Amino acid sequence: MQWLTPATALYAAAVTVPLLVLLYFLKLKRTEQVVSSTLLWHRAIQDLQVNAPFQKLRRNILLLLQLLAMLAALVALAGPVLNMSQEAGKRVVILIDRSASMNATDGADSMSRLDAALDQARTFVASLRNKAVFSLKDRADQAMIIAFDEHAKVMCNFTSDKSQLLTALQAVTPTDRTSSLGETLTVARAFTQPPGVETNNRTSEQRAQLHLFSDGRIKDLEDQAMQEGELVYHRVGQSSDNVAITAMQARRSYEQTDQIQVFASLAHFGDTPVTCDVQVSVNQDVVAVREVTLSGARADANGVGIMPGRASVEVAVTYDGAGLLEVRQLHADCLSADDAAWTVIAPPKQLNVALVTAGNPVLASVLQACPLAAFKVLTAEAFDEAMADASQSPYDVTVLDNVVPARLPRGRYLVFGAVPEAMGMTVAGSLENQFIVDWRPNHAILKHVNPSNVYVAQAQAVVPPREALVLAQFNGGPAVVLSQLVSGTFVWVGFDCLKSNWPFEPSFVLFCYNVMDYLGMQVTDSHEAQLRAGEPILMRGLMPDTTAELFGPDQETVTVTTDDQGSLRFPGTERVGTYSVAVAGDLPKTFAVNLLDTDESCVAPRSDLVLSGQTVSAQEAPVGLANQALWPWGVILALLFVCLEWWVYNSKMRI
Amino acid sequence: MARLDGLDVVSRKMLHGRLQGERRSKRRGQSVEFADHRPYVVGDDLRFVDWNIYGRLDQLFLKLFQEELDLTVHVAFDRSLSMGHPSPDKYRFVRQLAAALGYVSLVHNNRVTVSAFSDRVTGQVAHLRGRARVPELAELMMTVEADGPSLFDTACKQLVSSTPSSGVMLVISDCLFKEGYESGLKRLIGRGHDLYVIQTLSPEELNPTLSGDLKLVDIEDGDLSEVTVSSALIKHYKRNVTAYCNELKAFCTRHGAAYILASTDHPVDRLVLNTLRRIHLLQ
Repeated sequence: MQWLTPATALYAAAVTVPLLVLLYFLKLKRTEQVVSSTLLWHRAIQDLQVNAPFQKLRRNILLLLQLLAMLAALVALAGPVLNMSQEAGKRVVILIDRSASMNATDGADSMSRLDAALDQARTFVASLRNKAVFSLKDRADQAMIIAFDEHAKVMCNFTSDKSQLLTALQAVTPTDRTSSLGETLTVARAFTQPPGVETNNRTSEQRAQLHLFSDGRIKDLEDQAMQEGELVYHRVGQSSDNVAITAMQARRSYEQTDQIQVFASLAHFGDTPVTCDVQVSVNQDVVAVREVTLSGARADANGVGIMPGRASVEVAVTYDGAGLLEVRQLHADCLSADDAAWTVIAPPKQLNVALVTAGNPVLASVLQACPLAAFKVLTAEAFDEAMADASQSPYDVTVLDNVVPARLPRGRYLVFGAVPEAMGMTVAGSLENQFIVDWRPNHAILKHVNPSNVYVAQAQAVVPPREALVLAQFNGGPAVVLSQLVSGTFVWVGFDCLKSNWPFEPSFVLFCYNVMDYLGMQVTDSHEAQLRAGEPILMRGLMPDTTAELFGPDQETVTVTTDDQGSLRFPGTERVGTYSVAVAGDLPKTFAVNLLDTDESCVAPRSDLVLSGQTVSAQEAPVGLANQALWPWGVILALLFVCLEWWVYNSKMRI
Repeated sequence: MARLDGLDVVSRKMLHGRLQGERRSKRRGQSVEFADHRPYVVGDDLRFVDWNIYGRLDQLFLKLFQEELDLTVHVAFDRSLSMGHPSPDKYRFVRQLAAALGYVSLVHNNRVTVSAFSDRVTGQVAHLRGRARVPELAELMMTVEADGPSLFDTACKQLVSSTPSSGVMLVISDCLFKEGYESGLKRLIGRGHDLYVIQTLSPEELNPTLSGDLKLVDIEDGDLSEVTVSSALIKHYKRNVTAYCNELKAFCTRHGAAYILASTDHPVDRLVLNTLRRIHLLQ
C-alpha cells in the first residue's frame, strides 16, 4: 500500500491531534448542581474524577475513540492506494480489437473475446490513477479509447473521467470485419502527438503508451513499427478450434442455365481432424449436404504461422429462379461468423445486344462469338429512329462503333471512338501513334487482357469526368474509361478499333467478352450483391433522392436515401448475413455479406506480436485492479468510530 | 396528636433524674418499690427502720426503697444547610420528627430539652416539662430554619455542656459530616446519655438521579466536585452510601447507641408509631 498525500495527512495530524486533546480538556462546560454534601460523591468519584487530566486520559474511552476516528480520517486524507503505479499523470491509448475473430465465444460462460477484452479494459480504466484531492502536484492518468477493425473508430478522446471512459467502452460494438493496425496507430499517434511544442503542459516528446486488447489476429503487424515499450499487449482468447468457410462461389452454367455450380472452400484451424457436414440451401430449403473431413492445422515452414487443414466442396444445384444460396458448415465451434456464406443467385439471363455501326465486321463477329441471347446490328439512323421516344434502352448492352447517336436513352454502352455527349467528357483534341502504357489488370473489364501490344494510329484526347474510372492509359491521355452516370454505364474506348491493331490481338476478344460480362452482370447485379464484411452496399441507376429501407442481420431497419447521382450507398455492413434493400416501388433486393477471410477465421490467439523488427509479448496475467483508492474505507472507519463513541457516551450517561 | 399521647420515651438505662418522677432510679429514695436493707447508722430517719427485723434479730436495719425520678430527654436536630437540600421536605421531616419526640416526652412529664445545631447549638428550649410547655417547643420548631455549615463535634461539645444531667439523647441529622461524626458521638455517649442516632437521608441522596457532566457544589462549604455521571459512578455512589450508613450503625452499636436510618420520603408518623416503637425508644 502506498500513500498519495502522506505529508498533507502528517501536517493535518500535527494540528488536529493536539487540538483534539486540548479541546477535550476545555470542551466540558459542566452544569452546576448543588448537593447537600459532596462527601459521598468524593468517595465515589475518586477514580472517575475529571479534575486530574492524566487520570482522565488513562481511562477515557471516549477520547480514545475520538482519536481513533481522527486517525482514520487522517489515513483517508493521506490517500492510501493499493497497488499504486509509480508514474502519475501518464497517458494511455486503449485499443480494442473488435474484428471478426474477437467474436469467438471461447471464454467462460461462452463469453466472447470482445466482451472479455472490454472487461479487462474496464478493469484497466478503473485502475487508472486519480488525482489526489489534497495534492497540488499530483496528476490524474488520462486515457483514450479506439475501437478498431480494419478502420479505427475513436470512442473517446483523452480524458481522466472514468465514467466517460466506461461509457465509451460500453458503446464498442462487434463487427465481422478484418482487423488491421495501421490506420489505428496513425489515428492514435495523431492524438498522442499533437503539433506544437506544448499542449496541455505536455511536450510532444512524451509518448502515450498503447494498450492493445486483442487476440493478436491482426493482418498488418509486420508493417508496423513501435518503440520499445510503446505497446502493451493484453491477450484474450484461448481456443483455436474453428472450422470456417473461407471461399464460396456460385455460378450458373452458360450451357445449362438452370444449373448452378457451387464451390466452397473450408479450413480447419484446430489441432485434431474433424469431420463435418456442409449444407447447401436455396431460399432456406436444404438442397444438398456433403460430409467433409478436415485434417488438423499444423505450423508452417517458419514455425510462426498456421497451416489450416483444408477441404473443398463442389455441389451442383438445379434451380432456375432467383434466390439466396447459403453454404453452412455444421460443426460446432467458437466462431459463428464464418460458419456460413451466402450468395445471391440471379435468374438465368442472356444479353440482348445491339451494335450501332457504319460497318465493322470484326467487332460484329467478336460480339457474335459471345453467349448472347440476341444480337442486332443497326445503323446510326435506325438507332436514332428506334430511340426517339425511349427513356430506357431496350437493349441490355448497346455497342456504339464510332457513331454518335442523336439521343441516348438510359442504358449500358460500350463506346468506341466518338464521344457521346451524354458521357460528360470533354474532347481535348486527338492523339496519334499511341500505345497503351498502363492499365488496371485487376479490374473485371481488363481481366486476362494484355493490351501492351496495342498500337493506335489515331485516338481521341479527352478529359474524363471526375467520377469516371480510367482503366487504361495512353501516353497522352485515357484510353479506356468506365463511367457510371445517371444516364447509364459507359465503357469508352478512346479510338476506333479499326484504326488500331487491337482486333488482331487476342486481348480484343477477351476485352469484348469481359465488357459483355461486366455490363451483363449489371443487368443481373449478382456481382454487386456479394460483398465482404465492411464493403458498402452500392446500388446505382436509381432516381435521385429516392428512399430505400434496408433490413440487415441485426434485425433493424435503416432508411437510406440515394444521392444526386442516383446512387444508394450503405457502408454499415459490419456483420455477416443478408441485407435486404427495398426501394420504394420496387421489389426488395438482397445483398449477401460474407466474412471469407482466412486470417480472421484463424482464431488461435497469438502470444507474441511480431512487429517490424520487434516482438511484443502478451501480458502474462489479465489486467488486475491497481491504484485502488482506500480512502473511502478510512472515512467509513472514521464514521464507525464516531458512531461507537456516540454509543459509548450514551451508554455511560444512561443510569 | 392523640396517637402520640399514648406514647412515652423509654430509656434503656436507669438514669438519674432531678425531680421526682415516674422512672425508677438507681438511687435509693422514697417510693413504694423495696430495694434493700442496710444497717442503721446514727442520724438515719427512724421512719425507715424495719421493726420486724429488729424484733427477730435485735438489730436495727433500714429499709431502702428505689427512688423514682423524672427522665431527661434531649432532642438535638441538625439545622445545617444540608438539611434543607435537595428539597425542603428533608428539613420538614426532621422538624416534625423532633417535634413529635419532644411532644411525647413533654406529655409524660419528662424533662425535655430540644436543641437545633449546625456548627454550634443555634437554638434551644431547655428543661421543658409538662404539656403546657408544648407551645414553646412549637415556637422553636417554627422559627428555626436550615442555615449554616455543620460542625458536629463543636455542636456536641455545646450540647454536652448545656445538658448537666444524662438522659435520652436523640440526635436527628443526616450525619454527612466531613470532619467525621465519631468524636461528637463519643462526647455524647461519654456524658452518659442513652443515645439514639436517627439518620435522615432524602431519596435523592439515597438514589440520585443526576446525569451528564456536572459540577457538584456542596451547599454548606461550596466544595466542588466535577463528575461525569455514569451508571458506574451511580453504582459506586450507592455502594458508598450503604457503606457509610453501615459504618455509622456499627459505630453506634459498638458504643451502645441505637441507630435508625430514616428516608424522608416516608411519613413521619409511620416512623414514630412503628419504627421507634419497634426499637423500644417509644412505648
